[in-house]
Amino acid sequence: AMADGLEPDPAALRELSGPAALSVLIALIAVALTLLIWRFVQGRRSSRKAVLLLGLCDAGKTLLFARLLSGKYRDTQTSITDSSATYRPSRDKSTNVTLIDLPGHESLRLQFLERFKAAARAIVFVVDSVAFQREVKDVAEFLYQVLVDGTVLRNAPALLIACNKQDVTMAKSAKLIQQQLEKELNTLRVTRSAAPTTLDSSGGPAQLGKKGKDFDFSQLPMKVEFVECSARGSKGEEGDADLEGLEKWLVKVA
Amino acid sequence: MLDFFTIFSKGGLVLWCFQGVRGPAATAPVNALIRSVLLQERGGNNSFTHEALTLKYKLDNQFELVFVVGFQKILTLTYVDKLIDDVHKEFRDKYRNEFQQKGALGLLNGTFDFKDDFMRLLRDAEESSKVRAPTVMKTFEQSLKSQKTVKCMIETRGEKPKEKVKNKKNKGSKKEGNEAVAAPTKGSVGDKQLSAAGDKEELTKDEILQKNREEFFRRHMKAGEKSRSPKPDAQKEKGKKPRVWDLGNSNAKVLDYSNSATNGSAEACPVEEFDPDMALGDKNREPGRLYDLEYESDDEAEEEKVIQNPSKPSAKKGGLGGMFGMLKGLVGSKSLTRADMDPVLEKMKDHLIAKNVAAEIAVQLCESVAKKLEGKVMGTFTTVTSTVKQALQEALVQILQPQRRVDVLRDVMDAQRHHRPYVVTFCGVNGVGKSTNLAKISFWLIENGFSVLIAACDTFRAGAVEQLRTHTRRLNALHPPESHGGRTMVQLYEKGYGKDAAGIAMEAISYARNQGFDVVLVDTAGRMQDNAPLMTALAKLIAVNAPDLVLFVGEALVGNEAVDQLVKFNKALADHSMAQTPRLIDGIVLTKFDTIDDKVGAAISMTYITSKPIVFVGTGQTYCDLRSLNAKAVVAALMKA
Repeated sequence: AMADGLEPDPAALRELSGPAALSVLIALIAVALTLLIWRFVQGRRSSRKAVLLLGLCDAGKTLLFARLLSGKYRDTQTSITDSSATYRPSRDKSTNVTLIDLPGHESLRLQFLERFKAAARAIVFVVDSVAFQREVKDVAEFLYQVLVDGTVLRNAPALLIACNKQDVTMAKSAKLIQQQLEKELNTLRVTRSAAPTTLDSSGGPAQLGKKGKDFDFSQLPMKVEFVECSARGSKGEEGDADLEGLEKWLVKVA
Repeated sequence: MLDFFTIFSKGGLVLWCFQGVRGPAATAPVNALIRSVLLQERGGNNSFTHEALTLKYKLDNQFELVFVVGFQKILTLTYVDKLIDDVHKEFRDKYRNEFQQKGALGLLNGTFDFKDDFMRLLRDAEESSKVRAPTVMKTFEQSLKSQKTVKCMIETRGEKPKEKVKNKKNKGSKKEGNEAVAAPTKGSVGDKQLSAAGDKEELTKDEILQKNREEFFRRHMKAGEKSRSPKPDAQKEKGKKPRVWDLGNSNAKVLDYSNSATNGSAEACPVEEFDPDMALGDKNREPGRLYDLEYESDDEAEEEKVIQNPSKPSAKKGGLGGMFGMLKGLVGSKSLTRADMDPVLEKMKDHLIAKNVAAEIAVQLCESVAKKLEGKVMGTFTTVTSTVKQALQEALVQILQPQRRVDVLRDVMDAQRHHRPYVVTFCGVNGVGKSTNLAKISFWLIENGFSVLIAACDTFRAGAVEQLRTHTRRLNALHPPESHGGRTMVQLYEKGYGKDAAGIAMEAISYARNQGFDVVLVDTAGRMQDNAPLMTALAKLIAVNAPDLVLFVGEALVGNEAVDQLVKFNKALADHSMAQTPRLIDGIVLTKFDTIDDKVGAAISMTYITSKPIVFVGTGQTYCDLRSLNAKAVVAALMKA
């Protein structure tokens, strides 16, 4: 009786084999393929939708963030954590990006950069044009750390260096800032690669730009632009901010 | 009375601000608060002093808000804590929607019109602190003194004690008011008086006094004899008598309880069963040889197991209730309370201390992490342990990140451009490795093409100058002048022993300037932090010579001592400096790092106390054993179980 019970099954299977099994197999492969493609596309599209606002402490990142999103002036304090919101660069295009404002304090900046660098489609590096002369070494060091990061080099997100606080008369121009940064980064290449290696000797930092030649922003794998802006705005707190260049660039990047 | 009250989000947007009495802007003190307290993980106590202001703050970890109130330091306002709590609750409840639903955009676009509520809460708080009116002083009529007659207060000699006792009795009777006179309770006397005292209410006060006085006299007559008997005693005790011990005068014989028969005679003590094996133990030992200490790691493992076992049954007891709580926690939207975090934090604190972090620093760190996590809503599938561990890890990485730029070569290049030498001073306690690491750092500088002058300012320790001379010779052999364009890359400047270190340093620096050396490395003698004259000498050396970099050399093996050393060194440097902003320790060199496996806690202790970066790490005794700190690797080693 047991043998009888078992016998019909192989027979039934043999009947099923042929076109039916083949179609089942094809269906399975098709489903798997679509899933893979969909995940891949989704991943690619959603992974890098962020625009990071980086910079030293007091550069004006949080105010820039507020101005871009709401157009209003807000008082700000030193940020201790990140803030993110979706931003629509232009009214006609339906694309939007996630604007992320990271804290600039020395003890936090690298941690937050680690967290968000993989998702970065573009980086806005905010520089305080008034205090630049005094802070040039610190600015250059942070910029260097951002530029030699493995993930950043691989993804090559577009970089904009926003020279903020242009409403003050003593502010340095974007051209001057570019020249000074190039000179400083040139020196930093040498000193940083000569620094004692870290404890776990994870290999030296990547080389920035071309060896032998003086450092230039055009040697970098990503597109770098310099723009002047003023988050506070020349008409004081009630007026609008002077962010045209920045907004145009964001439209381009989105 | 408040100077200001601000509410801002952790992302930096000021949501609402109240500018009080007179108005220096609130931003600067609040920024100082954020930088020194919150970002340096000193969030244990919730008040902070900045110039003339005291700042108190409260964190809301659920909605990521910070509430800060500032008032003058000289005022002590008692209602501030309560005010902050009330404001927190009201603000959160009123604007809950903005926070929860709209996120950052809600914060940006929302208008937070809180002024009326705040004024109301402030008024309530001030009222509550004034509720207890100061007690009104009694008027003279109300006091007892006015009810005594003048007569009773006159003191005549001989009757003094009587008067005093009488007054006491009178006072007692006044206090009890209309009650029967309770004080003279000697029954025989009292009966007659009680019946009369029953009408006390109608008697005037004078008559009451009179009656009491008569009573008292009567008693006193009776007690007269009694009072006389203590008098002879008093007379007797007038002169102080020497104390007489019972057996003091008797001679030693009485005190000698030893059995004189037993000493010296062999029969008195019974012969024990003498087992030579038990006494000597190891039969195979060589007579006379001193063996090494044997290190057994098995015992320690067993002890740990024993300690763990008792804790397991208590975990089992948690049982069903714990399981449901865990499930609820796993699914999310559970906010952390102090009670949840305490056991985990205790364990983390012990873990940190086991990894050689100084005890008080581990405590402060855990407190700060608790403050940061209180009230935070956990995400899905996260347990309390993992949240706390994550927060602690972030806090540790934050501490180890340098607050200022750490790039010695860049600064040396700067100094080179200005044609002056870059001066580095090494200080520390005895035997931490100052001279060894000085040699390593000079090797590194020479490799990068800078010429070094070593100033031997250790004029005390025997052989210090010779040690540096040997190093100089070796370095010159490794980097001969020929390979660097005829320039001697390293030279020693010494003036022998016994001279003043500060003077030698000054001479060395001017010599370096004349000869065009790029860097001057000043080696000082090791000194204990408690040794005041030596600390003064070190402070003088640093104050007079104004070096560019003051490096404190500390060994990684140090435990709780690190805190004491650094605090006292910094204090000494600050006390003896004449300048407005005294030169303190600028950086730390952590030495003997190869001797600790993963007990890397000393790095945390040192950076926490000084908030200065670890510039170099020494990992051995050869010239190449110089590294820089990798914060992530150190924290990983620290958090490893």
